[in-house]
Amino acid sequence: MKKRGIGIGCTFYGTGYGNGFPDISTAFVEIHDDGSVLILTGAVDCGQGSTTVLTQIAAEELGIPTDMVTITCADTGCTPDSGTTAATRQTYTTGNAIRLACQKAKKTLLEWAAKELGTNTIEGLVIAEGKIMVKGHPQKSITFKEACAKARFAGNRLIGEASFTTHATQVNMEDGQGAPYWPYAFGTQIAEVEVDTETGKVEVLRIVAAQDVGKAINPQSVEGQIEGGVAQGLGWSLLEEVKLSSGNITNPAFSSYLIPTVLDMPEIETYIIESHEPTGPYGAKGVGEPAMLSAAPAILNAIHDAIGVRINDLPATPEKILEALQEKK
Amino acid sequence: MIGTKSFEAIVNGEQVKLNIPQNLRLIDVLRNYLGLTGTKEGCGEGECGACTVLVDGEPYNSCLLFALQVQNKNILTIEGLASYNNLHPLQESFLEHGAVQCGYCTPGMLLVAKALLDKNPNPTREEIKVAISGNLCRCTGYSKIVDAISAVAEKGVKR
Ligand code: FES
Ligand code: FES
Repeated sequence: MKKRGIGIGCTFYGTGYGNGFPDISTAFVEIHDDGSVLILTGAVDCGQGSTTVLTQIAAEELGIPTDMVTITCADTGCTPDSGTTAATRQTYTTGNAIRLACQKAKKTLLEWAAKELGTNTIEGLVIAEGKIMVKGHPQKSITFKEACAKARFAGNRLIGEASFTTHATQVNMEDGQGAPYWPYAFGTQIAEVEVDTETGKVEVLRIVAAQDVGKAINPQSVEGQIEGGVAQGLGWSLLEEVKLSSGNITNPAFSSYLIPTVLDMPEIETYIIESHEPTGPYGAKGVGEPAMLSAAPAILNAIHDAIGVRINDLPATPEKILEALQEKK
Repeated sequence: MIGTKSFEAIVNGEQVKLNIPQNLRLIDVLRNYLGLTGTKEGCGEGECGACTVLVDGEPYNSCLLFALQVQNKNILTIEGLASYNNLHPLQESFLEHGAVQCGYCTPGMLLVAKALLDKNPNPTREEIKVAISGNLCRCTGYSKIVDAISAVAEKGVKR
């Protein structure tokens, strides 16, 4: 018999290395004579999209289009260390470092522009539409490009360097108190499954995934991270298990260690939740790992809803489901 | 000692003639002899589809073929998909839909999609899924890949 059930999983995840471990990113920035910008940072993009997001952060901070920003990432020959691409930390930690570095370079430029345009402080200036303008008097302006060239010719160096350290303290082992991570990412997923009580096979029919990312700097890649997270979470729940024998992996192949194919995947409905994170770049925090966590509890709860058994050992293979159904009888 | 043999084929529209060891796999000829490293080796045993190339328009795992099995055939790798300065509509669509993350599965996905659309210009979402079901992707959850392929199918762009 085929039985259907629905389950919900809610999770929170501490991003960053955590527990007081030094979690630091560094970025260098230089604005050139033609108004183009070079960013150097050690952040590795494995495909999750950090290079794009970091470029967007630099462009936003400097008030220029993204195509004026060149970013060189993760080249030990020239980039400063920005830690590992792990712990869901690059958007937050390296994003903050880039933002701070851009602010420094921008300050030098605007201080020159304030004199040129006759404002008392740089607070009266804004960079937009390829120009540096006096707030409220947009006719008083200089093109960004011209300003960069002239400021440099006047002897200024439009460079910035910054490091950002994620705030985390070690947990007190005696009383468990402390602030081991910051920030936390929250997610909820709802799964609908169909369990075949003859074969024990679970089919996931639908997943609805909502993930709090603070601010989605690049909504399309956030969606991609959530969808990929759901796929890994589904694999973790139903298929994936590293089997060991005397320390050797006995299933080191895609034929014996199964990951979801497109046919194992339901349609995924994603919801991006933006709960402004005050310490993040433009309110953003990471999305990588947290997006995969809620799938397993959601799917296991849906199995319980469908057939009334609790599976407490991942993955929920047909064998385990049949065994649990047997025990229940 | 394994002897060499002459291997001839058309690869991405160009006639290729090489002397190769008889037991060389197609993927090795492509990557190591012709420098076409866009074809990826994920597993080397026919499980992942990363090494997919088209042989006379049909998708094959190039890790499972001896090069000499495709003697005188017409082979298309990812390097041959775009024309000189225009991306193929499928490539454009993958970019537009964010269907590429690490990119390791992408060459195979694109070529399988091309083979599908050449035969069936208006596939359903289900048909697209079946077509790419031999290609594993660890990153995307497949949604955006299926979206990207259906968008091209819907546009009916000349391929
Ligand atoms: S490398 Fe050929 S199928 Fe995996
Ligand atoms: S994009 Fe990474 S495997 Fe598909």
